[in-house]
Amino acid sequence: MMLRILSSEFLKIRKKLIWLLVAAGPIGVVALQAVNYGVRYDYLVAGKETAKLWSGLIGNVSMLALPALMVGLALVASMTAGIEHQMNAWKLTLALPVRKRQVFAGKFLLTALLLLISCTLLVPLTVALGLALGFDGPIPYGDLLTNAYYPYLAAMPFIALQAWLSVTMANQTLPLTIGIVGMIVSMFAGGRFPDWVPYKWPQLVNASHEPLYSVTAGVALGLVVFVAGMAEFVRKDVK
Amino acid sequence: MEMSANQELILETNELTKKLGGKPVVKAVNMQIRRGDIYGFLGPNGAGKTTTIRMLLGLAKPTAGSIRIFGKDIRKMRLAILRKVGSLVEYPSYYGHLTATENLEAVRRLLGVPKSRIDEVLSIVRLTKEAKRPVRGFSLGMKQRLGIATALLGDPELLVLDEPTNGLDPAGIQEIRELIKSLPQTSGVTILISSHLLSEVEQMATRVGIISKGELIYEDSIHRLREQAQGRVRLGVSNPESAWRLLLSHGYPVGWENGRLTVAKADDRTVASIVARLVKQDFEVYRVEEETASLESIFLQMTGTEGSL
Ligand SMILES: Nc1ncnc2c1ncn2[C@@H]1O[C@H](COP(=O)(O)OP(=O)(O)OP(=O)(O)O)[C@@H](O)[C@H]1O
Ligand SMILES: [Mg+2]
Repeated sequence: MMLRILSSEFLKIRKKLIWLLVAAGPIGVVALQAVNYGVRYDYLVAGKETAKLWSGLIGNVSMLALPALMVGLALVASMTAGIEHQMNAWKLTLALPVRKRQVFAGKFLLTALLLLISCTLLVPLTVALGLALGFDGPIPYGDLLTNAYYPYLAAMPFIALQAWLSVTMANQTLPLTIGIVGMIVSMFAGGRFPDWVPYKWPQLVNASHEPLYSVTAGVALGLVVFVAGMAEFVRKDVK
Repeated sequence: MEMSANQELILETNELTKKLGGKPVVKAVNMQIRRGDIYGFLGPNGAGKTTTIRMLLGLAKPTAGSIRIFGKDIRKMRLAILRKVGSLVEYPSYYGHLTATENLEAVRRLLGVPKSRIDEVLSIVRLTKEAKRPVRGFSLGMKQRLGIATALLGDPELLVLDEPTNGLDPAGIQEIRELIKSLPQTSGVTILISSHLLSEVEQMATRVGIISKGELIYEDSIHRLREQAQGRVRLGVSNPESAWRLLLSHGYPVGWENGRLTVAKADDRTVASIVARLVKQDFEVYRVEEETASLESIFLQMTGTEGSL
Protein backbone atom coordinates (compact mmCIF):
# COMPACT_ATOMS: atom_id res chain seq x y z
CA MET A 1 0.00 0.00 0.00
CA MET A 2 2.81 2.43 0.85
CA LEU A 3 4.22 1.88 -2.64
CA ARG A 4 0.86 2.65 -4.22
CA ILE A 5 0.59 5.82 -2.16
CA LEU A 6 4.08 6.90 -3.14
CA SER A 7 3.49 6.23 -6.82
CA SER A 8 0.34 8.34 -6.58
CA GLU A 9 2.30 11.10 -4.79
CA PHE A 10 4.97 11.16 -7.47
CA LEU A 11 2.30 11.32 -10.16
CA LYS A 12 0.74 14.33 -8.44
CA ILE A 13 3.96 16.35 -8.49
CA ARG A 14 4.46 15.77 -12.20
CA LYS A 15 5.11 19.02 -14.06
CA LYS A 16 5.42 20.87 -10.77
CA LEU A 17 7.83 23.62 -9.79
CA ILE A 18 8.92 21.39 -6.97
CA TRP A 19 11.28 19.48 -9.27
CA LEU A 20 12.94 22.74 -10.25
CA LEU A 21 13.53 23.49 -6.58
CA VAL A 22 14.93 20.02 -5.94
CA ALA A 23 17.49 20.52 -8.73
CA ALA A 24 18.10 24.24 -8.20
CA GLY A 25 19.13 23.78 -4.55
CA PRO A 26 22.29 21.72 -5.10
CA ILE A 27 23.04 23.40 -8.44
CA GLY A 28 22.86 26.81 -6.77
CA VAL A 29 25.12 25.74 -3.92
CA VAL A 30 27.77 24.34 -6.24
CA ALA A 31 27.45 27.28 -8.64
CA LEU A 32 28.11 29.72 -5.79
CA GLN A 33 31.20 27.77 -4.89
CA ALA A 34 32.24 27.83 -8.55
CA VAL A 35 32.07 31.61 -8.40
CA ASN A 36 33.92 31.63 -5.07
CA TYR A 37 36.71 29.44 -6.49
CA GLY A 38 36.78 31.42 -9.70
CA VAL A 39 37.28 34.70 -7.89
CA ARG A 40 39.73 33.43 -5.29
CA TYR A 41 41.44 30.75 -7.37
CA ASP A 42 44.97 31.76 -6.42
CA TYR A 43 44.23 31.79 -2.72
CA LEU A 44 42.13 28.64 -2.60
CA VAL A 45 43.85 26.43 -5.12
CA ALA A 46 47.32 27.48 -6.20
CA GLY A 47 50.12 25.33 -4.86
CA LYS A 48 47.97 23.11 -2.62
CA GLU A 49 48.14 19.34 -2.50
CA THR A 50 45.26 17.37 -4.01
CA ALA A 51 43.80 15.90 -0.81
CA LYS A 52 43.64 19.37 0.79
CA LEU A 53 41.99 20.76 -2.32
CA TRP A 54 39.21 18.17 -2.27
CA SER A 55 38.56 18.42 1.46
CA GLY A 56 38.54 22.19 1.18
CA LEU A 57 36.00 22.08 -1.62
CA ILE A 58 33.81 19.58 0.21
CA GLY A 59 33.89 21.77 3.33
CA ASN A 60 32.98 24.87 1.37
CA VAL A 61 30.11 23.14 -0.41
CA SER A 62 28.79 21.78 2.91
CA MET A 63 28.91 25.23 4.46
CA LEU A 64 26.42 26.50 1.89
CA ALA A 65 24.52 23.24 1.54
CA LEU A 66 23.46 23.25 5.20
CA PRO A 67 21.37 26.43 5.19
CA ALA A 68 20.09 25.43 1.75
CA LEU A 69 18.96 22.10 3.19
CA MET A 70 17.38 23.73 6.25
CA VAL A 71 15.30 26.16 4.21
CA GLY A 72 14.81 23.71 1.34
CA LEU A 73 13.15 21.17 3.59
CA ALA A 74 10.59 23.73 4.70
CA LEU A 75 9.89 24.73 1.08
CA VAL A 76 9.62 21.16 -0.19
CA ALA A 77 7.37 20.12 2.71
CA SER A 78 5.16 23.12 2.06
CA MET A 79 4.93 22.40 -1.66
CA THR A 80 4.16 18.70 -1.32
CA ALA A 81 1.41 19.45 1.20
CA GLY A 82 0.26 22.45 -0.83
CA ILE A 83 -0.81 20.16 -3.67
CA GLU A 84 -3.60 18.90 -1.39
CA HIS A 85 -4.38 22.21 0.30
CA GLN A 86 -4.72 24.11 -2.96
CA MET A 87 -7.96 22.47 -4.07
CA ASN A 88 -8.68 20.91 -0.68
CA ALA A 89 -8.00 17.45 -1.98
CA TRP A 90 -7.50 15.93 1.49
CA LYS A 91 -11.16 14.99 1.62
CA LEU A 92 -10.79 13.25 -1.73
CA THR A 93 -7.84 11.11 -0.65
CA LEU A 94 -9.05 10.41 2.86
CA ALA A 95 -12.48 9.22 1.72
CA LEU A 96 -10.67 6.49 -0.22
CA PRO A 97 -9.87 3.11 1.31
CA VAL A 98 -6.46 4.16 2.64
CA ARG A 99 -5.25 4.45 6.20
CA LYS A 100 -4.83 8.00 7.40
CA ARG A 101 -1.44 7.23 8.86
CA GLN A 102 -0.28 5.87 5.53
CA VAL A 103 -1.42 9.04 3.80
CA PHE A 104 0.62 11.05 6.30
CA ALA A 105 3.58 8.72 5.93
CA GLY A 106 3.28 9.14 2.15
CA LYS A 107 3.61 12.92 2.37
CA PHE A 108 6.55 12.65 4.76
CA LEU A 109 8.29 10.07 2.58
CA LEU A 110 7.74 12.12 -0.57
CA THR A 111 9.31 15.15 1.11
CA ALA A 112 12.18 13.09 2.50
CA LEU A 113 12.85 11.39 -0.84
CA LEU A 114 12.88 14.66 -2.77
CA LEU A 115 15.39 16.09 -0.32
CA LEU A 116 17.42 12.93 -0.60
CA ILE A 117 17.57 13.48 -4.36
CA SER A 118 18.82 17.03 -3.75
CA CYS A 119 21.51 15.85 -1.36
CA THR A 120 22.54 13.10 -3.75
CA LEU A 121 22.93 15.62 -6.58
CA LEU A 122 25.56 17.40 -4.50
CA VAL A 123 27.98 14.53 -5.05
CA PRO A 124 28.31 14.53 -8.86
CA LEU A 125 28.05 18.33 -8.93
CA THR A 126 30.90 18.73 -6.44
CA VAL A 127 33.00 16.19 -8.34
CA ALA A 128 32.34 18.05 -11.58
CA LEU A 129 33.38 21.35 -10.04
CA GLY A 130 36.55 19.82 -8.59
CA LEU A 131 37.49 18.32 -11.93
CA ALA A 132 36.70 21.57 -13.70
CA LEU A 133 39.00 23.37 -11.30
CA GLY A 134 41.71 20.93 -12.31
CA PHE A 135 41.85 18.85 -9.13
CA ASP A 136 43.37 15.50 -9.92
CA GLY A 137 44.20 12.40 -7.98
CA PRO A 138 41.84 10.13 -6.13
CA ILE A 139 38.37 11.60 -5.72
CA PRO A 140 37.40 11.15 -2.03
CA TYR A 141 33.99 9.56 -2.62
CA GLY A 142 33.71 8.49 1.02
CA ASP A 143 33.93 12.05 2.27
CA LEU A 144 31.66 13.27 -0.49
CA LEU A 145 28.96 10.78 0.46
CA THR A 146 29.17 11.38 4.21
CA ASN A 147 29.00 15.13 3.63
CA ALA A 148 25.94 14.67 1.46
CA TYR A 149 24.01 12.22 3.63
CA TYR A 150 25.02 12.73 7.26
CA PRO A 151 23.63 16.28 7.52
CA TYR A 152 20.49 15.06 5.73
CA LEU A 153 19.98 12.31 8.29
CA ALA A 154 20.80 14.61 11.19
CA ALA A 155 18.19 17.08 9.86
CA MET A 156 15.45 14.42 10.03
CA PRO A 157 13.63 16.03 13.01
CA PHE A 158 13.15 19.17 10.92
CA ILE A 159 11.97 17.27 7.87
CA ALA A 160 9.40 15.51 10.07
CA LEU A 161 8.43 18.75 11.82
CA GLN A 162 7.91 20.68 8.58
CA ALA A 163 5.99 17.80 7.01
CA TRP A 164 3.73 17.76 10.07
CA LEU A 165 3.16 21.52 10.16
CA SER A 166 2.63 21.87 6.43
CA VAL A 167 0.22 18.94 6.24
CA THR A 168 -1.91 19.99 9.20
CA MET A 169 -2.09 23.72 8.42
CA ALA A 170 -3.88 24.95 5.33
CA ASN A 171 -2.16 28.33 5.64
CA GLN A 172 1.54 27.85 4.99
CA THR A 173 2.74 31.11 6.56
CA LEU A 174 3.51 29.66 9.96
CA PRO A 175 5.28 26.51 8.72
CA LEU A 176 7.42 28.56 6.35
CA THR A 177 8.27 31.11 9.04
CA ILE A 178 9.31 28.34 11.40
CA GLY A 179 11.42 26.82 8.64
CA ILE A 180 13.21 30.07 7.85
CA VAL A 181 13.82 30.89 11.50
CA GLY A 182 15.12 27.34 11.89
CA MET A 183 17.61 27.87 9.10
CA ILE A 184 18.91 31.07 10.72
CA VAL A 185 19.14 29.46 14.15
CA SER A 186 21.01 26.48 12.71
CA MET A 187 23.53 28.76 11.00
CA PHE A 188 24.54 30.23 14.36
CA ALA A 189 24.13 27.05 16.35
CA GLY A 190 27.70 25.88 15.83
CA GLY A 191 29.80 26.97 18.79
CA ARG A 192 27.10 28.54 20.87
CA PHE A 193 24.60 25.82 21.63
CA PRO A 194 25.10 22.73 23.77
CA ASP A 195 25.21 19.41 21.94
CA TRP A 196 21.65 18.42 22.76
CA VAL A 197 20.14 21.25 20.70
CA PRO A 198 18.83 19.62 17.50
CA TYR A 199 19.63 22.72 15.43
CA LYS A 200 23.29 21.88 15.92
CA TRP A 201 23.06 18.31 14.70
CA PRO A 202 23.14 18.87 10.92
CA GLN A 203 26.59 20.44 11.34
CA LEU A 204 27.74 17.14 12.83
CA VAL A 205 29.85 18.86 15.50
CA ASN A 206 29.78 17.54 19.04
CA ALA A 207 32.07 17.23 22.03
CA SER A 208 33.04 13.65 21.14
CA HIS A 209 33.99 14.59 17.56
CA GLU A 210 31.84 11.75 16.35
CA PRO A 211 29.51 12.80 13.49
CA LEU A 212 27.55 9.57 13.83
CA TYR A 213 26.29 10.73 17.24
CA SER A 214 24.61 13.69 15.54
CA VAL A 215 23.26 11.41 12.83
CA THR A 216 21.86 8.88 15.30
CA ALA A 217 20.28 11.56 17.45
CA GLY A 218 18.75 13.14 14.32
CA VAL A 219 17.23 9.93 13.02
CA ALA A 220 15.91 9.00 16.47
CA LEU A 221 14.28 12.36 17.17
CA GLY A 222 13.08 12.49 13.57
CA LEU A 223 11.20 9.26 14.16
CA VAL A 224 9.64 10.64 17.35
CA VAL A 225 8.47 13.82 15.63
CA PHE A 226 7.14 11.80 12.69
CA VAL A 227 5.10 9.55 14.97
CA ALA A 228 3.76 12.53 16.93
CA GLY A 229 2.74 14.28 13.71
CA MET A 230 1.09 11.14 12.40
CA ALA A 231 -0.87 10.68 15.63
CA GLU A 232 -2.20 14.21 15.43
CA PHE A 233 -3.09 13.88 11.75
CA VAL A 234 -5.00 10.65 12.40
CA ARG A 235 -6.93 12.14 15.31
CA LYS A 236 -8.04 15.31 13.56
CA ASP A 237 -11.19 15.60 11.46
CA VAL A 238 -10.54 16.27 7.79
CA LYS A 239 -11.37 19.79 6.65
CA MET B 1 -41.65 1.30 -6.71
CA GLU B 2 -42.63 1.17 -3.07
CA MET B 3 -40.10 0.18 -0.46
CA SER B 4 -40.61 -3.19 1.08
CA ALA B 5 -39.53 -3.49 4.67
CA ASN B 6 -37.31 -6.47 4.04
CA GLN B 7 -35.05 -4.71 1.60
CA GLU B 8 -31.48 -4.82 2.79
CA LEU B 9 -30.28 -1.80 4.74
CA ILE B 10 -27.15 -0.40 3.13
CA LEU B 11 -26.67 2.48 5.50
CA GLU B 12 -28.02 3.15 8.92
CA THR B 13 -27.20 5.82 11.48
CA ASN B 14 -28.17 5.64 15.11
CA GLU B 15 -28.59 8.88 17.07
CA LEU B 16 -25.77 10.36 15.00
CA THR B 17 -24.60 13.61 16.57
CA LYS B 18 -21.82 16.08 15.83
CA LYS B 19 -20.83 19.15 17.77
CA LEU B 20 -18.70 21.79 16.11
CA GLY B 21 -17.28 24.56 18.23
CA GLY B 22 -19.46 23.37 21.13
CA LYS B 23 -22.63 23.74 19.08
CA PRO B 24 -24.56 20.66 17.92
CA VAL B 25 -24.89 20.86 14.13
CA VAL B 26 -26.13 17.30 13.65
CA LYS B 27 -28.58 16.11 16.28
CA ALA B 28 -29.44 12.47 16.91
CA VAL B 29 -30.02 11.61 13.27
CA ASN B 30 -31.48 8.18 12.51
CA MET B 31 -31.21 7.61 8.81
CA GLN B 32 -31.89 4.49 6.80
CA ILE B 33 -30.94 3.79 3.23
CA ARG B 34 -31.86 0.55 1.49
CA ARG B 35 -30.20 -1.18 -1.42
CA GLY B 36 -31.22 0.41 -4.70
CA ASP B 37 -32.50 3.62 -3.15
CA ILE B 38 -31.78 6.96 -4.67
CA TYR B 39 -31.94 8.81 -1.41
CA GLY B 40 -32.45 12.56 -1.64
CA PHE B 41 -30.88 14.14 1.43
CA LEU B 42 -32.48 17.55 1.64
CA GLY B 43 -32.07 20.57 3.81
CA PRO B 44 -31.52 24.32 3.58
CA ASN B 45 -28.03 25.84 3.72
CA GLY B 46 -26.30 25.11 6.98
CA ALA B 47 -28.72 22.34 7.94
CA GLY B 48 -25.93 19.83 8.51
CA LYS B 49 -25.91 17.82 5.27
CA THR B 50 -22.19 18.07 4.61
CA THR B 51 -21.36 17.45 8.26
CA THR B 52 -23.47 14.28 8.21
CA ILE B 53 -21.91 13.10 4.96
CA ARG B 54 -18.39 13.71 6.29
CA MET B 55 -19.19 11.44 9.20
CA LEU B 56 -20.61 8.78 6.88
CA LEU B 57 -17.31 8.76 5.00
CA GLY B 58 -15.15 8.65 8.10
CA LEU B 59 -13.75 12.14 7.40
CA ALA B 60 -15.11 13.41 10.70
CA LYS B 61 -15.75 11.51 13.89
CA PRO B 62 -19.23 11.58 15.41
CA THR B 63 -19.52 13.24 18.81
CA ALA B 64 -22.11 10.59 19.65
CA GLY B 65 -24.07 7.86 17.91
CA SER B 66 -23.02 5.28 15.39
CA ILE B 67 -22.97 4.54 11.69
CA ARG B 68 -23.33 1.17 10.00
CA ILE B 69 -22.71 0.80 6.29
CA PHE B 70 -23.10 -2.59 4.59
CA GLY B 71 -23.86 -3.84 8.10
CA LYS B 72 -20.41 -2.83 9.38
CA ASP B 73 -19.49 -0.23 11.95
CA ILE B 74 -17.56 2.64 10.34
CA ARG B 75 -15.33 3.03 13.38
CA LYS B 76 -14.11 -0.53 13.18
CA MET B 77 -14.19 -1.28 9.46
CA ARG B 78 -13.63 2.05 7.72
CA LEU B 79 -11.36 0.63 5.02
CA ALA B 80 -13.57 -2.32 4.15
CA ILE B 81 -16.56 0.03 3.87
CA LEU B 82 -14.81 2.73 1.86
CA ARG B 83 -13.65 0.15 -0.67
CA LYS B 84 -17.27 -0.07 -1.80
CA VAL B 85 -18.15 3.62 -1.48
CA GLY B 86 -17.57 6.38 -4.01
CA SER B 87 -18.00 9.99 -2.95
CA LEU B 88 -18.01 13.61 -3.92
CA VAL B 89 -18.05 16.00 -0.96
CA GLU B 90 -19.12 19.65 -1.22
CA TYR B 91 -17.22 20.63 -4.36
CA PRO B 92 -14.98 18.50 -6.50
CA SER B 93 -11.36 18.16 -5.40
CA TYR B 94 -8.87 17.87 -8.21
CA TYR B 95 -5.27 18.56 -9.08
CA GLY B 96 -5.49 21.48 -11.50
CA HIS B 97 -2.13 20.97 -13.19
CA LEU B 98 -2.96 17.37 -14.08
CA THR B 99 -5.18 16.18 -16.91
CA ALA B 100 -8.48 14.41 -16.24
CA THR B 101 -6.80 11.08 -16.96
CA GLU B 102 -3.91 11.84 -14.61
CA ASN B 103 -6.30 12.91 -11.87
CA LEU B 104 -8.12 9.62 -12.18
CA GLU B 105 -4.82 7.74 -12.33
CA ALA B 106 -3.70 9.32 -9.04
CA VAL B 107 -6.83 7.89 -7.40
CA ARG B 108 -6.66 4.62 -9.32
CA ARG B 109 -3.22 3.87 -7.92
CA LEU B 110 -4.67 4.05 -4.43
CA LEU B 111 -7.69 1.93 -5.29
CA GLY B 112 -5.74 -0.65 -7.24
CA VAL B 113 -8.45 -1.10 -9.89
CA PRO B 114 -7.55 -1.94 -13.50
CA LYS B 115 -6.37 0.90 -15.74
CA SER B 116 -9.27 0.26 -18.11
CA ARG B 117 -11.66 1.71 -15.48
CA ILE B 118 -10.33 5.18 -16.26
CA ASP B 119 -11.61 5.12 -19.83
CA GLU B 120 -14.85 3.55 -18.67
CA VAL B 121 -15.68 6.24 -16.12
CA LEU B 122 -14.55 9.00 -18.48
CA SER B 123 -17.02 7.75 -21.04
CA ILE B 124 -19.81 7.43 -18.46
CA VAL B 125 -19.46 11.14 -17.63
CA ARG B 126 -18.70 11.97 -21.27
CA LEU B 127 -15.30 13.50 -20.71
CA THR B 128 -13.41 11.20 -23.08
CA LYS B 129 -12.67 14.05 -25.49
CA GLU B 130 -11.35 16.35 -22.75
CA ALA B 131 -9.32 13.65 -21.03
CA LYS B 132 -5.92 15.04 -22.03
CA ARG B 133 -6.52 18.62 -20.95
CA PRO B 134 -5.36 20.07 -17.64
CA VAL B 135 -8.35 20.16 -15.31
CA ARG B 136 -7.54 23.76 -14.33
CA GLY B 137 -9.17 24.90 -17.58
CA PHE B 138 -12.34 22.86 -17.11
CA SER B 139 -15.74 24.47 -16.66
CA LEU B 140 -17.45 23.91 -13.32
CA GLY B 141 -19.78 21.37 -14.91
CA MET B 142 -16.85 19.42 -16.31
CA LYS B 143 -15.08 19.47 -12.95
CA GLN B 144 -18.27 18.23 -11.33
CA ARG B 145 -18.45 15.42 -13.90
CA LEU B 146 -14.82 14.54 -13.26
CA GLY B 147 -15.68 14.40 -9.56
CA ILE B 148 -18.45 11.92 -10.30
CA ALA B 149 -16.10 9.92 -12.52
CA THR B 150 -13.64 9.77 -9.62
CA ALA B 151 -16.41 8.59 -7.32
CA LEU B 152 -17.32 5.86 -9.81
CA LEU B 153 -13.75 4.66 -10.34
CA GLY B 154 -13.83 1.95 -7.67
CA ASP B 155 -17.13 0.57 -9.01
CA PRO B 156 -18.91 1.45 -5.74
CA GLU B 157 -22.03 -0.14 -4.31
CA LEU B 158 -22.87 3.12 -2.56
CA LEU B 159 -22.39 6.50 -4.16
CA VAL B 160 -22.43 9.56 -1.90
CA LEU B 161 -22.84 12.85 -3.74
CA ASP B 162 -22.96 16.08 -1.76
CA GLU B 163 -24.69 18.81 -3.77
CA PRO B 164 -23.30 17.64 -7.12
CA THR B 165 -25.27 20.32 -8.96
CA ASN B 166 -24.22 23.23 -6.76
CA GLY B 167 -23.23 26.26 -8.78
CA LEU B 168 -24.24 24.81 -12.14
CA ASP B 169 -26.46 26.49 -14.71
CA PRO B 170 -29.80 24.85 -15.59
CA ALA B 171 -28.28 22.96 -18.50
CA GLY B 172 -25.47 21.70 -16.30
CA ILE B 173 -27.93 20.68 -13.61
CA GLN B 174 -30.01 18.80 -16.15
CA GLU B 175 -26.94 17.03 -17.46
CA ILE B 176 -25.79 15.87 -14.01
CA ARG B 177 -29.34 14.80 -13.20
CA GLU B 178 -29.58 12.66 -16.33
CA LEU B 179 -26.20 11.20 -15.54
CA ILE B 180 -27.18 10.24 -12.00
CA LYS B 181 -30.53 8.85 -13.10
CA SER B 182 -28.80 6.60 -15.60
CA LEU B 183 -26.41 5.15 -13.02
CA PRO B 184 -28.52 2.71 -11.01
CA GLN B 185 -29.71 0.97 -14.15
CA THR B 186 -26.24 0.54 -15.52
CA SER B 187 -24.45 -0.44 -12.32
CA GLY B 188 -26.99 -1.32 -9.64
CA VAL B 189 -25.58 1.30 -7.31
CA THR B 190 -27.32 2.84 -4.29
CA ILE B 191 -27.10 6.62 -4.24
CA LEU B 192 -27.21 9.24 -1.50
CA ILE B 193 -27.50 12.67 -3.02
CA SER B 194 -27.82 15.88 -1.03
CA SER B 195 -29.32 19.14 -2.13
CA HIS B 196 -30.89 22.25 -0.72
CA LEU B 197 -33.56 22.17 -3.40
CA LEU B 198 -36.22 19.48 -3.44
CA SER B 199 -36.96 20.21 -7.09
CA GLU B 200 -33.43 19.19 -7.95
CA VAL B 201 -33.78 15.64 -6.70
CA GLU B 202 -37.51 14.98 -6.79
CA GLN B 203 -37.38 13.59 -10.32
CA MET B 204 -34.78 11.01 -9.45
CA ALA B 205 -35.12 10.27 -5.74
CA THR B 206 -37.02 7.21 -4.57
CA ARG B 207 -36.71 8.26 -0.93
CA VAL B 208 -36.10 11.53 0.80
CA GLY B 209 -34.68 12.52 4.14
CA ILE B 210 -35.15 16.13 5.18
CA ILE B 211 -32.76 17.67 7.65
CA SER B 212 -33.31 21.04 9.27
CA LYS B 213 -31.13 22.66 11.90
CA GLY B 214 -29.32 19.38 12.40
CA GLU B 215 -32.45 17.26 12.89
CA LEU B 216 -33.83 14.71 10.47
CA ILE B 217 -37.44 15.87 10.43
CA TYR B 218 -38.75 13.64 7.69
CA GLU B 219 -37.77 10.37 6.09
CA ASP B 220 -39.98 8.41 3.76
CA SER B 221 -40.58 7.52 0.15
CA ILE B 222 -41.03 10.28 -2.38
CA HIS B 223 -44.59 8.98 -2.93
CA ARG B 224 -45.56 9.72 0.64
CA LEU B 225 -44.23 13.20 0.27
CA ARG B 226 -46.22 13.60 -2.94
CA GLU B 227 -49.35 12.44 -1.13
CA GLN B 228 -48.80 15.12 1.45
CA ALA B 229 -48.51 17.57 -1.35
CA GLN B 230 -51.86 16.52 -2.76
CA GLY B 231 -53.97 19.58 -2.83
CA ARG B 232 -57.50 20.70 -2.41
CA VAL B 233 -60.24 21.07 -4.91
CA ARG B 234 -61.66 24.52 -5.42
CA LEU B 235 -65.14 25.10 -6.73
CA GLY B 236 -66.38 28.14 -8.49
CA VAL B 237 -70.19 28.30 -8.16
CA SER B 238 -73.01 30.79 -8.31
CA ASN B 239 -74.13 31.99 -4.89
CA PRO B 240 -71.27 30.32 -3.10
CA GLU B 241 -72.29 31.13 0.44
CA SER B 242 -75.58 29.29 0.28
CA ALA B 243 -73.90 26.48 -1.61
CA TRP B 244 -71.45 26.21 1.25
CA ARG B 245 -74.23 26.03 3.83
CA LEU B 246 -76.04 23.45 1.79
CA LEU B 247 -73.01 21.22 1.46
CA LEU B 248 -72.17 21.56 5.15
CA SER B 249 -75.68 20.58 6.08
CA HIS B 250 -75.20 17.40 4.03
CA GLY B 251 -72.01 16.62 5.88
CA TYR B 252 -69.42 17.42 3.18
CA PRO B 253 -66.01 18.60 4.44
CA VAL B 254 -66.08 21.92 2.62
CA GLY B 255 -64.27 25.10 3.43
CA TRP B 256 -64.97 28.71 2.60
CA GLU B 257 -62.17 30.91 1.40
CA ASN B 258 -62.12 34.18 -0.54
CA GLY B 259 -65.55 33.63 -1.95
CA ARG B 260 -64.68 30.14 -3.11
CA LEU B 261 -65.61 26.70 -1.89
CA THR B 262 -62.73 24.36 -1.11
CA VAL B 263 -62.69 20.65 -0.47
CA ALA B 264 -59.62 19.27 1.26
CA LYS B 265 -58.08 15.96 0.16
CA ALA B 266 -61.10 15.11 -1.91
CA ASP B 267 -61.28 11.81 -3.73
CA ASP B 268 -63.00 11.54 -7.10
CA ARG B 269 -66.29 10.22 -5.76
CA THR B 270 -66.69 12.98 -3.19
CA VAL B 271 -66.08 15.61 -5.84
CA ALA B 272 -68.56 13.96 -8.19
CA SER B 273 -71.27 13.76 -5.58
CA ILE B 274 -70.71 17.37 -4.49
CA VAL B 275 -71.05 18.56 -8.06
CA ALA B 276 -74.17 16.41 -8.58
CA ARG B 277 -75.75 17.78 -5.42
CA LEU B 278 -75.05 21.38 -6.42
CA VAL B 279 -76.44 20.93 -9.94
CA LYS B 280 -79.54 19.27 -8.56
CA GLN B 281 -80.17 22.28 -6.34
CA ASP B 282 -79.80 24.59 -9.36
CA PHE B 283 -76.45 26.06 -8.50
CA GLU B 284 -74.31 26.86 -11.49
CA VAL B 285 -70.91 25.21 -11.34
CA TYR B 286 -68.31 27.30 -13.19
CA ARG B 287 -65.07 25.65 -12.21
CA VAL B 288 -63.71 22.59 -10.46
CA GLU B 289 -60.01 23.17 -9.94
CA GLU B 290 -57.28 21.05 -8.39
CA GLU B 291 -54.99 23.21 -6.30
CA THR B 292 -51.76 21.27 -5.74
CA ALA B 293 -49.32 22.54 -3.21
CA SER B 294 -45.89 22.16 -4.79
CA LEU B 295 -43.47 19.75 -3.15
CA GLU B 296 -41.18 22.70 -2.80
CA SER B 297 -43.65 24.63 -0.69
CA ILE B 298 -44.16 21.62 1.57
CA PHE B 299 -40.41 21.31 1.91
CA LEU B 300 -40.14 24.98 2.76
CA GLN B 301 -42.90 24.67 5.32
CA MET B 302 -41.24 21.69 6.94
CA THR B 303 -37.86 23.29 7.16
CA GLY B 304 -39.33 26.57 8.29
CA THR B 305 -37.46 28.56 5.74
CA GLU B 306 -40.43 29.78 3.79
CA GLY B 307 -40.05 33.42 2.96
CA SER B 308 -36.40 33.53 3.89
CA LEU B 309 -35.19 32.22 0.57
N1 LIG C 1 -15.84 24.26 12.09
C1 LIG C 1 -17.07 24.64 12.45
N2 LIG C 1 -17.28 25.20 13.65
C2 LIG C 1 -18.53 25.58 14.02
N3 LIG C 1 -19.61 25.45 13.26
C3 LIG C 1 -19.46 24.91 12.03
C4 LIG C 1 -18.18 24.47 11.56
N4 LIG C 1 -18.34 23.97 10.33
C5 LIG C 1 -19.66 24.08 10.03
N5 LIG C 1 -20.34 24.65 11.06
C6 LIG C 1 -21.79 24.89 11.10
O1 LIG C 1 -22.45 23.67 10.98
C7 LIG C 1 -23.68 23.83 10.31
C8 LIG C 1 -23.86 22.75 9.30
O2 LIG C 1 -22.96 22.93 8.24
P1 LIG C 1 -22.98 21.99 6.96
O3 LIG C 1 -21.85 22.40 6.10
O4 LIG C 1 -23.06 20.59 7.39
O5 LIG C 1 -24.35 22.40 6.29
P2 LIG C 1 -24.95 21.98 4.88
O6 LIG C 1 -26.28 21.41 5.14
O7 LIG C 1 -23.98 21.14 4.15
O8 LIG C 1 -25.13 23.37 4.20
P3 LIG C 1 -24.91 23.83 2.67
O9 LIG C 1 -26.19 23.60 1.96
O10 LIG C 1 -24.62 25.29 2.81
O11 LIG C 1 -23.75 23.07 2.12
C9 LIG C 1 -23.67 25.23 9.75
O12 LIG C 1 -24.58 25.99 10.49
C10 LIG C 1 -22.27 25.73 9.96
O13 LIG C 1 -22.30 27.08 10.29
MG1 LIG D 1 -22.93 21.37 2.39
